[in-house]
Amino acid sequence: MGKLHKKGKAGAAINYITRNQALKKLQVTLADFRRLCILKGIYPREPKNKKKANKGSTAPSTFYYAKDIQYLMHEPILGKFREYKTFAKKMAKVMSKGQYSTAKTLAENKPIYTLDHIIKERYPTFTDALRDLDDALCMIFLFATMPKTDKIKSETIENCQRLAAEFQHYILHTRALRKTFLSIKGIYYQAEIKGQTVTWLVPYQFSQDVPTDVDFRVMLTFLEFHQTLCGFVNYRLYSDVNLVYPPTLDLKLDEGGAGMNALIIESTQSSANIAKTVNQPITTSAVAASLSKEEKQRLQESEKRLKTLSSKIARIQETEDSTTTTDMDQDADSAMDEFPAPLPNLDGTAAGTVTFTDIQKASQHLTHFQSLFSNCVIFLSREVPRYSLEFILRALGAQVGWDAVLGEGSPFDENDDRITHQISDRPTQGHRFLSRQYVQPQWAYDSINAGKILLGDAYSVGKTLPPHLSPFVEAKEGDYVPDVNQFEGQTEDLAIESGDEDEDEDEDEDEDEDEEDADEDEDEDAEHKDLHQIELEAEAKGVAFTEFEAKENKKKAKATKASKAAAETATSSAPATRSAGKKRTAAEAEAEEAKELAKIMMTNKQQKLYTKIQYGKDKKAAEVEKLTKKKEQLAKTAKTSANKKAKK
Amino acid sequence: MPSTRPTRKAAAPKAAAAPAKRVAPAPAPSKKAVVAPKSKKRTVEEAQEDSDDEFGDVAIDMASDDDEEDMDGDDESDDAEDFPEEGEEGQDMSAADIEEDEDEDSEGSYMDGDSIADSQEELDDEEEEEDESDFDDLVEDDIDPNFGHNLNEPLAPESDYNPIVREYPEIDPVYDSDSSTEENENTVGNIPMHWYDDYPHIGYDIDGKKIMRPATGDELDKFLSTMDDPDSWLSAHNYKEGQDVKLSAEELEIIRRLEGNRIPDADYNPYEDQVEFFSSKTEIMPLSAAPEPKRRFIPSKHEAKRIMKIVRAIREGRIVPRKSGYVPPKPKYYNLWNDAEDKPREEHVMHITAPKMKLPTHDESYNPPAEYLPTEEEIREWNEMDKEDRPKNYLPQKYNALRNVPGYGQFIQERFERCLDLYLAPRVRKNRLNIDPESLIPKLPSPRDLQPFPTRLAIEFLGHEGRVRSTSVDPTGLWLASGSDDKTVRVWEIATGRCMATYHLDELVTSVVWGPNKEIAVLAVTCGYKVGLILPEKLFSPELTLHSEEYLKAGFANVATGEPNPKAQWKQPTPAEFEKGIRVWVHLQKPVKQVTWHRKGDYFATVAPDANNSAVLIHQLTKHQTQQPFKKTKGAVQRVMFHPTKPMFFVATQRYVRQYNLQRQELVKTMQTGVKWISSLDVHPAGDNLIIGSYDKRLCWFDLDLSSKPYKTLRYHQQAIRSVAYHKRYPLFASCADDGNVQIFHGMVYNDLLQNPLIVPVKILKNVHQRVDALGALCVEWHPTQPWLISSGADHTIKLFS
Repeated sequence: MGKLHKKGKAGAAINYITRNQALKKLQVTLADFRRLCILKGIYPREPKNKKKANKGSTAPSTFYYAKDIQYLMHEPILGKFREYKTFAKKMAKVMSKGQYSTAKTLAENKPIYTLDHIIKERYPTFTDALRDLDDALCMIFLFATMPKTDKIKSETIENCQRLAAEFQHYILHTRALRKTFLSIKGIYYQAEIKGQTVTWLVPYQFSQDVPTDVDFRVMLTFLEFHQTLCGFVNYRLYSDVNLVYPPTLDLKLDEGGAGMNALIIESTQSSANIAKTVNQPITTSAVAASLSKEEKQRLQESEKRLKTLSSKIARIQETEDSTTTTDMDQDADSAMDEFPAPLPNLDGTAAGTVTFTDIQKASQHLTHFQSLFSNCVIFLSREVPRYSLEFILRALGAQVGWDAVLGEGSPFDENDDRITHQISDRPTQGHRFLSRQYVQPQWAYDSINAGKILLGDAYSVGKTLPPHLSPFVEAKEGDYVPDVNQFEGQTEDLAIESGDEDEDEDEDEDEDEDEEDADEDEDEDAEHKDLHQIELEAEAKGVAFTEFEAKENKKKAKATKASKAAAETATSSAPATRSAGKKRTAAEAEAEEAKELAKIMMTNKQQKLYTKIQYGKDKKAAEVEKLTKKKEQLAKTAKTSANKKAKK
Repeated sequence: MPSTRPTRKAAAPKAAAAPAKRVAPAPAPSKKAVVAPKSKKRTVEEAQEDSDDEFGDVAIDMASDDDEEDMDGDDESDDAEDFPEEGEEGQDMSAADIEEDEDEDSEGSYMDGDSIADSQEELDDEEEEEDESDFDDLVEDDIDPNFGHNLNEPLAPESDYNPIVREYPEIDPVYDSDSSTEENENTVGNIPMHWYDDYPHIGYDIDGKKIMRPATGDELDKFLSTMDDPDSWLSAHNYKEGQDVKLSAEELEIIRRLEGNRIPDADYNPYEDQVEFFSSKTEIMPLSAAPEPKRRFIPSKHEAKRIMKIVRAIREGRIVPRKSGYVPPKPKYYNLWNDAEDKPREEHVMHITAPKMKLPTHDESYNPPAEYLPTEEEIREWNEMDKEDRPKNYLPQKYNALRNVPGYGQFIQERFERCLDLYLAPRVRKNRLNIDPESLIPKLPSPRDLQPFPTRLAIEFLGHEGRVRSTSVDPTGLWLASGSDDKTVRVWEIATGRCMATYHLDELVTSVVWGPNKEIAVLAVTCGYKVGLILPEKLFSPELTLHSEEYLKAGFANVATGEPNPKAQWKQPTPAEFEKGIRVWVHLQKPVKQVTWHRKGDYFATVAPDANNSAVLIHQLTKHQTQQPFKKTKGAVQRVMFHPTKPMFFVATQRYVRQYNLQRQELVKTMQTGVKWISSLDVHPAGDNLIIGSYDKRLCWFDLDLSSKPYKTLRYHQQAIRSVAYHKRYPLFASCADDGNVQIFHGMVYNDLLQNPLIVPVKILKNVHQRVDALGALCVEWHPTQPWLISSGADHTIKLFS
């Protein structure tokens, strides 16, 4: 007989701990526990058997993993929380007594905690940190646009703005931007940093009205963590590309609304050179020190800088461009040197395996993408969102200038001859330079998503824009894929296409049949002789007759349309074809019956799973059908209205 | 005189600042007539001052000490200030009659028995004395030489100070000159005067005599008096005296000041300069003569202790000296990660990383394709839905230009919700099955490979007028017998579907079975309480008929010798019945539900579920004997069956199937079906497998060698299974159910013991029988040699599928 197991001594009963138990164990208040959980990334669990986890009680409760809580007990921050509590008590006492000098001393020795160790603990490798950067970035970009309230300090907002700008600068510098999307919620950006895709959402820059039903204590605790994380990530990112971190903030430009450009990005190697041009020795340490100096001094400095800024920026950009281009060239050269160009014959080889050619192609494609706008000089009119457009355009190599209304620091003005595109978002464009294209902002976003510079005609000022599609959607089989074209043309296409397809099929079938006939004609005699023999052989081997038959069929007609259709109907329930009201062929009916019969032999579990999956599939299909129907309806109305117009 | 003291002190510096004031109210003897009401006091004081003057002659050295002089000057001015103060106060007091009265009353109470005049006098005397004593001190110290002169000087009219002066009648300062003694003062004190409302008097005078209420005129008089008297508006009613008193100008002034929320006394300065008793000036004389305590000269132990505490703290580093220019520490960033040393977190089941936010789809675009835009109905639906139920937290919207896109109102809320999700939502690892549902369907051999099996309806046997409960095919495979609720048994020719014979019985026919022996043509029929053995005469050859006749008759000879068994009585049919073809009746105690033959055709078993212990009976045809194999049956017996090859017997009760060895008379095996109610049972012709059908839609296949649990349980019928049957030759079995369907399976049993039977559904015959009164197909039977299936149902039909 095995060992007797006592109830509640192993398994779920000790693996999980309810929240109240955790509070008692840690001896903290709920608020402190919440903060701890947020900072340490501890989350509730859902035990498989709640009754077992809750010592037999079925009362609803939140469960935590017992070891998480155990680890929390040794958390240094927990001690700091307690210290802070005593500090607050002391402070209150002293203040009520009016002992202000003591209060001052106390305030100076206020317990401060850092989150460094938590960051390291939660993200042991840098890749882990990058993987979890999405939420942090969203939060920081949101708070960068928040107004100062009684809960949100201005320092926090400034820090968020700074971190956001720093991150954007990194993206600019490394040209890591991949996708953008203008949504109704805000603007999505996706970048690829060290192989990790990082997606973040930036709200449209309107003043956020701070809602009352949001608990800002929670938000700010998260923000505290996210700020630290972002700071460390930024440091690492900057140092990886040999940039000075933290970059200097140009106060003058910052006040002038330069936004992102108020940060002066300096390379650790070239900082000395730049310093010479500024006529002031700025080493990295000096830069750091300058931050802490008096306001006036800084302003003076920034003024000085500003004088030489445009030239400096141009120089930096040039050097950047040259370095990147040279780098790219070098890469290309080296690649060419090391690996001779693959033979064109090999192109058609197996798609499943990743060959060197594929990799090379991908990298070439990437380098091309990264310098997508490198030949463009783009001017932003005053009504377009510079905070986004400047970022995405410069991130892909464009030179961007803007109207003075949008902030200081534009490298060129509207009258510049080099400008190739002007982005404006107004009903009509008054004065036009002939040398440049006037496009709406969506052009830039769509171009990035398409990976090529789109023709500006569809996006010209005042024109109805083509629909803006999400680049994040990867169409799978059976998904609805919207057509970017406009309705009028599209519907015609549809009609033609559907007709064509049918005809094509028929033709194909005919052809196939013809081929079959021909084949049969040729091989008929031989086959007749052999068939019986082969059948016998197959039977001896134990191959079922139907299988044998199928094989024979396959042999006969390599890939006929009919078999394809049969296969399709067999594999997918194909509601579309069924709804089309086509008569089922005998083969289909048979296949269906066979399926029905086979379902009898499914186990209960399998049956349930099958119905579940089928339910999901049907739902999806219904959605797709709804969309297609809607589209057809829209097309119809568009057509009729067009006809009416034509008649008139 | 406590009331005067503070005022005096407070007034002191003022007097010092403006010495002119000092003289201003000082009444010259000539002006005595115009002096304030407390003229008595004043006069006394003046007299005193006069006397001072006198003392002044006895003067002492005045310039003895400057400091002292200063101080004394102050003191002196105090006294000097008394005059205007007193004067004013006096005026005020006289004006505010009620207060004054109160004061006087209170003082009067101290001097019980004395008249007011007396008290007044005494009061004045007291003051006088005090003043005198003061002056005595002064005299001793010093006196301003000008003091007397000042007083004696005629009053200089002061421009800024013009006290309102009330005229009083001249007083002749002789004994009893004070008219106040004659006044009838009310001595009731500060009580609510309405207590006296019901009395004719309003109080008592100083002598305890009643003061009668003065006559009050009626309203008309009052009115007239107000009309006549132009000053009536400034008169007030004195309740204590019950009279109207005209207010003086000073009293009016007080009222006015009170109304204006000002201090009633116009001259009172609430912001007097402070008198510094302990000033920076060093005094020659100490305030206290106590000697300096010792503690002033020795170091404090307590302080030393405290200092040592701090010193210790500094030494131990608990107190860090304050840095100059405190700056709050800024977050410092450094390279937190070291690629060489960092080890990625080990995979752990309990560690679940937060899922990333869902990426936006096309419909979230600011300019989505038009088909994504919701219709009005969808918008309404979305609005009506609860926030939690909404599939997406936004409605697709289209803006024709980027400039028209507004800020998203729910941005902060959504981020907040994400935050909540991150720390509040339980995380569960859910394995998403990314499998093709078709892969779940088992790969079975194609039914086409498993032919032959019946696929289509070949013959329909029509003629019954009731439910056809039971069918049976004779061993030769030529004839089909069927028993029905219309109390008939019919025999059909299978090849043609012709009804060859009909036997009318007197009860519902529940079971019809042909004898398995080809040599003997006999049909067992259950009908109510009895079992009949029928010899269908014309269907078989005469030899066979004759042989069968003899076989059936043989038993009667035996029965005659033996005693009759009460449980089963073998009886000869009536001649009419005999004519029909019935040869033997076996009468039982309870209605019989089923009859089944032993393979050799000599024994047959009957089931009468209601007969408790004798539910199962085994009858021997040749000897007309009946045995009761079980003394006690466990549960309600549903079906019984002989083993096709061995002396075994299967009994199906409601939930279990038991296998008995008839030779050894023992239980061999109990099969746990796991169904609720067994309806039918059949044994595989090889004898090693068994199927049962149940009313809860299940079909169980038992492999007798394998386990007592079903090898396979299938649930495919929508209604209760009524009947299951194995084919005798082909690897086929079928089931029929109340849903009217008949399902045909390929059930291959291999000789190899290691290989499990292969069960493949090959055909569903749908809606073979119509449902009548919730009953569909009632019985399935296989043709003994051909792959033909015969099914009968509640719709009175019998159908043959080939």
